[in-house]
Amino acid sequence: MKIFSFANQKGGVGKTTTAVTLAHGLAMAGRRVLLVDMDSQGHVAISLGLQKSPGLFGLICEKRELPSLVVAARDNLDVLPGDKRTQSVQREFSRSSAGGAIFLEAITRSGYEAVLLDMAPSLDSLHACGLLSSNWVIIPTRMDSLSVDGLQEVIRNLGEFSRRGHPLEGYCILPTFFDRTTRETYVQFRDLTQTFGGHMWPPIPQDTRVREAPAYGSTLWEYAPNCLAMRGLTEGRKRIGGYRQILDKFMEVLDA
Amino acid sequence: MPKKNLPRRDLIDPEVSDLLKEMEQRQIESQLPRRDREKKARERQKIAARRERRATYDLPPEIRLKISDLSDRLSIPASQLVTLALIRFLDVYENGKLDLGPYKLPSRSPRYDWNLVFSEPQANIRKKDKK
Repeated sequence: MKIFSFANQKGGVGKTTTAVTLAHGLAMAGRRVLLVDMDSQGHVAISLGLQKSPGLFGLICEKRELPSLVVAARDNLDVLPGDKRTQSVQREFSRSSAGGAIFLEAITRSGYEAVLLDMAPSLDSLHACGLLSSNWVIIPTRMDSLSVDGLQEVIRNLGEFSRRGHPLEGYCILPTFFDRTTRETYVQFRDLTQTFGGHMWPPIPQDTRVREAPAYGSTLWEYAPNCLAMRGLTEGRKRIGGYRQILDKFMEVLDA
Repeated sequence: MPKKNLPRRDLIDPEVSDLLKEMEQRQIESQLPRRDREKKARERQKIAARRERRATYDLPPEIRLKISDLSDRLSIPASQLVTLALIRFLDVYENGKLDLGPYKLPSRSPRYDWNLVFSEPQANIRKKDKK
């Protein structure tokens, strides 16, 4: 089993969309997947057409068992949903370190092949717990300076955890809402590639379908499986990026 | 002295690298005078339009030479001669007037069951019969 977190201190960069799309893609490929909503906005449930509910709150604050809290969202895909009570979890994590241990033990014992943590845009103790629990971190970012600053904060945290001996296997930066026609996109993409080299993954193109899908409670695999964000950019006869290609790379990491 | 013939490891994802090169090219083009920019855009459109019409097949060199000679002699583009030949072939084949059987030999390829062998098809049949 591997645990992946989707993190960026900046909001609105595509963390939830990426986590939901990759989770469903993995599930469709026959992998048993748990998607955990660590954000009090509870948007994972909405994206999958479910009701928000206090799943993480039940696990940490009410000490309930994980199987009684997860919701079957799709074949092979279970969700531990969140809602505003997730904020109480954050307070619980600040008070004592026991919450982190309960969380990690519960998901480690769960028997899923992949656990995906959709993190809140913050740097609180719940966020730290998510990062510390993860084998791999995926950092979605828009190509603008505020989002890039958010990603740098996450990478600083990862560096700090690494110095304290946390064995993180790897991380990647996933450009989202990618519009290759603007100079700002080019400058940010070039600078990030120069700085982070092989940690940069091919981008997810800007696509209105991505904004529409949650309104129908559908993932992109259901709502628009052949949209630009799924297929990637056209470069000659090749396709670059898009969630289909990213899923392949994600599965390579999972199987490594 | 370090060895100079060692292959340099490419640390950047090849897809990212390709995309970055393409974006760099566009940035350079955007600095050009308007007329040059428009010329580049027209060239790109032309290349993109031709892409769908392009195909790569392996041909025996003598066929390629014959097409090239015919193209020179008749002053007709080689692509159009080959297109005509393929139209005629498909017409004949679809009307059942061409039997591929005499040309077919089993293939060892995991992808294909048959190869077409063009020299002396009857000899191939005789070989097959002997087996």
